[in-house]
Amino acid sequence: MFISKDFDMIKKFRVSWDLFLPIFVGLTYLFLYVPIIILVAFSFNNSLSSYKWNGFTFEWYKELFSSSQIWTALTNSLIVALSSVFLCLLISLLAIWCLLRKKYKLFDYFSSIVLIPEIAIAVSLLTLFTFLKIPLGLNTLIVGHTLLGLGFSFPIIYNAFKDVNKLLIEASLDLGASMRQTFFRIVLPILYPAFFSAALLVFILSIDDFLISFFCTGPTSQTLSLYIFAMIRGGLSPVVNALSTLILIFSSVCVLLYSFITLKMER
Amino acid sequence: MNLQRYFAQEAPFFKALPALLWQTLFLWIPLTFLFIISFLKQDGLGWVFTLDSYREIFDSSHIRIILRSLLLAIYNSFVCLILAYPMAYAIVFKIKKLKNLALFLLTLPFWVNFLVHIYAWFFVLEYHGLLNSILQFIGIINEPLRLMNSWFAVMVVMVYAYLPFLVLPVYSALEKLDVRLIEASMDLGASHLKTFFKIILPLSFNGAKLGFFLVFVMSFGEFVIPTLMGGGKHMFVGTLIWQYFLTDQNMSLGSAFTALSGCFLILVLLFINWLAKLLVPYNYVHK
Repeated sequence: MFISKDFDMIKKFRVSWDLFLPIFVGLTYLFLYVPIIILVAFSFNNSLSSYKWNGFTFEWYKELFSSSQIWTALTNSLIVALSSVFLCLLISLLAIWCLLRKKYKLFDYFSSIVLIPEIAIAVSLLTLFTFLKIPLGLNTLIVGHTLLGLGFSFPIIYNAFKDVNKLLIEASLDLGASMRQTFFRIVLPILYPAFFSAALLVFILSIDDFLISFFCTGPTSQTLSLYIFAMIRGGLSPVVNALSTLILIFSSVCVLLYSFITLKMER
Repeated sequence: MNLQRYFAQEAPFFKALPALLWQTLFLWIPLTFLFIISFLKQDGLGWVFTLDSYREIFDSSHIRIILRSLLLAIYNSFVCLILAYPMAYAIVFKIKKLKNLALFLLTLPFWVNFLVHIYAWFFVLEYHGLLNSILQFIGIINEPLRLMNSWFAVMVVMVYAYLPFLVLPVYSALEKLDVRLIEASMDLGASHLKTFFKIILPLSFNGAKLGFFLVFVMSFGEFVIPTLMGGGKHMFVGTLIWQYFLTDQNMSLGSAFTALSGCFLILVLLFINWLAKLLVPYNYVHK
């Protein structure tokens, strides 16, 4: 009797939990997507008002594409992002190469950057640059973004490297390959997916980054994030909606591509 | 001769030098530098040692700002955790076929510029925005509420922006969890609740903790959301640092304040870590 009562209670708990969970998940997805859907919808709204639907138009997209400021901001962002990706991958590659023969404990500290507030990093970089009288501009941004990116790219590649079957490396060395050959012919191909995801992550981090860009940029080098920030501060404008929609589409394509490639590589 | 052999032996190490140099040069040295500057003050052309900046910021108004930021961080990380855990749980254990799609939809906002998210909320929270329209339509309120530039707006958007950062670590912890352990626990007669508290929770605890700390640290220094959503009515740590460095150009005060709030942050993190160890005294490591 005691057992059956207990069982009943568990069953009741199960039923309520099974009912609760889908509703909860649905509501959370709603919470995540409703604002974005409205944002996209209003980028096609034929009116400056932000709450009344007034017909469909592409006008804001035209206005966006005719603005020269956005193109400079986009080019700046791309220059910074691509350079940081390149630097991050190169530095991580060299560091992994060094780990091939020996283990160094030092590398566990790389991901610790995540636990330092970004604003502290930004501010300390700013003080350093102003103290050393280095002019702020795209180069200082690249330094900051590479630093930020390394904290993410290196752990990803390092974890993938830890999973590499060490017997493969030994076999390659036993069969007479040099360290360099082993690294470039055996280890690197296995790590391609990790390098790819690290590159994408650093790219997105750099494009999205606001705090470091805000503190470490010069007056002439505006990035996409700073441009959006300035526009938002100026109030609601359908042009920002149009820009946001394009960013949204671009990011989704990136993530889709990324999942597609990693899935294919895993096979 | 010995030295030469040593260098040959340690040659691979030099390949790692760029990584270490970059980290030291642009992270540890600037942070130390910031700390040193907080004890200095510009006096004519040179710099003199002084505790003035600390004396100036060590008052109730500054401490209140730090506490407010801590409160916001505690609130945000707890709410995100409470929302993220069932989400990750559902994706791993309930949505089996569409798992990849569910994860994709969840991580998509993470890849989009976060200023875009904040901007999207303007349309929901505005005076004539979606939320007010819905509430009016249902008939809960007659007049639209002023939701923008309030604590409410800040709190909602904070959760929105940081939720993915907590879902992902919990998800990967649950994903790695060996399903056989759950089956064994059930086979041996444990209830669902007991299985959850004895098996699933302890084994995913480290992931949850990592996400919690991540969100905590990020929301402590957050300054965009309070500025745009809170209308700058309340000062937070991020806003004040920004003001000291960019508006006032006062490096000494700014770095002293940064250092002080950093100390508060570390103390609170250590305390939470201690509390977590007290609550869940297991430390399982995945193999």
